[in-house]
Amino acid sequence: MSTATLGKDARPARPTGPVRPAGYALVRAGSASFLLHRGAALVAAGLAVVLAAVCVAYLCVGERFVPPGEVLRVLFGQDSRSELVVGTLRLPRMTVGLLVGLAFGVAGALIQTVARNPLASPDIIGISQGASALTVGAMIFGITSYDVLPYLSVLGGVLAAALVYVFAWRGGLHATRFVLIGIGFAIALRSVTQLFMTKGDYLVAQQAQIWMTGSLNGRGWDEATTLGWVLLVLLPGVAWAARAQRTAAMDDDTAVALGVRLGRVRLGLVALGVVLASVATGAAGPVDFVALLAPQIARRLTRTAQIPLLCSALLGAVVVVAGDLLARRLFSPTELPVGVLTAAVGAPYLIWLIMRGRTGGKA
Amino acid sequence: MSSDPATGPVTRLRAASLSLGYEDRTVVHELDLAIPDGRVTVIVGPNACGKSTTLRALGRLLKPKGGAVLLDGAELARIPTKKIAQSIGLLPQTPVAPEAITVADLVSRGRQPHQAWWKQWSADDERAVTAAMERTDVAALAERPVDALSGGQRQRVWIAMALAQETDLLLLDEPTTYLDISHQVEVLDLVRQLNREQGRTVVVVLHDLNQAARYADHLVAMKEGLVVAEGTPDEVVTAELVREVFGLESVVVPDPVTGSPLVVPGAPWTPGEGGPGAGGAAEAVEDASFSSAP
Repeated sequence: MSTATLGKDARPARPTGPVRPAGYALVRAGSASFLLHRGAALVAAGLAVVLAAVCVAYLCVGERFVPPGEVLRVLFGQDSRSELVVGTLRLPRMTVGLLVGLAFGVAGALIQTVARNPLASPDIIGISQGASALTVGAMIFGITSYDVLPYLSVLGGVLAAALVYVFAWRGGLHATRFVLIGIGFAIALRSVTQLFMTKGDYLVAQQAQIWMTGSLNGRGWDEATTLGWVLLVLLPGVAWAARAQRTAAMDDDTAVALGVRLGRVRLGLVALGVVLASVATGAAGPVDFVALLAPQIARRLTRTAQIPLLCSALLGAVVVVAGDLLARRLFSPTELPVGVLTAAVGAPYLIWLIMRGRTGGKA
Repeated sequence: MSSDPATGPVTRLRAASLSLGYEDRTVVHELDLAIPDGRVTVIVGPNACGKSTTLRALGRLLKPKGGAVLLDGAELARIPTKKIAQSIGLLPQTPVAPEAITVADLVSRGRQPHQAWWKQWSADDERAVTAAMERTDVAALAERPVDALSGGQRQRVWIAMALAQETDLLLLDEPTTYLDISHQVEVLDLVRQLNREQGRTVVVVLHDLNQAARYADHLVAMKEGLVVAEGTPDEVVTAELVREVFGLESVVVPDPVTGSPLVVPGAPWTPGEGGPGAGGAAEAVEDASFSSAP
């Protein structure tokens, strides 16, 4: 009988390897239990420290240098003669950058997860282009108020994503088709935007160009408050997504076999990512590459099987705040739009990580 | 082992006049199939006969065009997919692991249908995952990344994941593809062991008729979307059946090791003769074009 071969290599003493998925910590609260990836938690803690440092640096550095002690006094609401520079001028803009970075970081992670493609991000699959087309179109036709434009760009992003989703749907969502149709829409919408720009007068076209690069110039508490509320409302969704990502990372058949309602999970993840990306774009314009870079850097730092959401969010924030700090100071007194420098901050780091990495260029 | 027909249900899973297809092409025609509980059922047939398609439908990966798959008498399409996942485990033909995932992480994802957002790990999960990894002999690999393993090890890890799901029914789609002969035997021995020791109902799709005859309690032979014969290997595997299903002349002799029927292809090709060799080649070409159609 074939069972004889089994007896032959009968197992020695039972190996007692770690049973709980290696690298996870178990957090219990009453009857609830949560798995926490140790590496990701550690990296997140590290990134939080880096982010705090970058934020303090952002508030210190400017036309007039404010020592960190003064900055902290302002942050903790104590009287300071730097209240105006730090609290009124720099802090609101930094807060917008921080929230935009968080939103792009999460959005990129979710969209890359669903598309199973590291190249899929809001600025590749048409969301940013949809936002741009509608916003620039509105600018050219005389709507230049920043009370209206952010909402238009949110609308543009969501509409573009909805179109991509509908066109990519064929009895199911095929990841590659989703990305390719997204790229098609991105190209088409970009040319629509170009059309608007050539139609409009020079000054408006220039304003549109700056918006399209992504800029935090002139952003203040209004944008920060709106963004903050949106992120707070979406927070439970993000908590759900962190878990849902686990199964969306498997191939379709395996995920369904494990009882995952794949269609709904994917739609939920994409919808959340699109709303986050659109809202961030509405606040700061399509800040290039943050949503593309942050998830990939995060994943390489943590070596998790799926993109770690919190780390990706924190990295997004670090990249945007650091990018804007450079944008403000590098060619001072000329200020660059932040979008010019986010790529410059993140891209070399990602390239270095990929070159160093064992797993090469794979997703 | 197998449930007594007098006391318990003999069949938890069956197909009732099941028609399956892709787009406008019908692959399986009004198939009736009862999977006997507590047995190893092997589905065999030539390429593109609809065997994998049938298995996918049994595991609700494919929606029927007509008829239904019934689990405990209820239509699969009407049962919540998570509920199905508590009864049916399924290992697809080419599962893809997320990059850099460790063995223990992957195996523990088999617990998905028993978990919830607020209940991500229980004592049951721990026990099931340990047991699955020990049974498949991958406990020592727990912390290794899956993409660093050999083909045979990787297949055992995937089976461990399906085992950790702790389902009564286990569907395996060509689990021996891409494995060398010793690992093929290893996987099939494991399948039989799972069935014999735990009474799990296993349905396996296999390419190799001899392996099917050796490991099946219940053998189902399919051709062009229809069941041509089903029963014990002794009943099913005959020279006539091999000719009818595979279009191959052969001699069937008892397997010297197990006594199960062993198919030895006869009438070898000789130069200058049209005969069965030419016919076989033409058929192979036909098969290839059929299965590669989108």
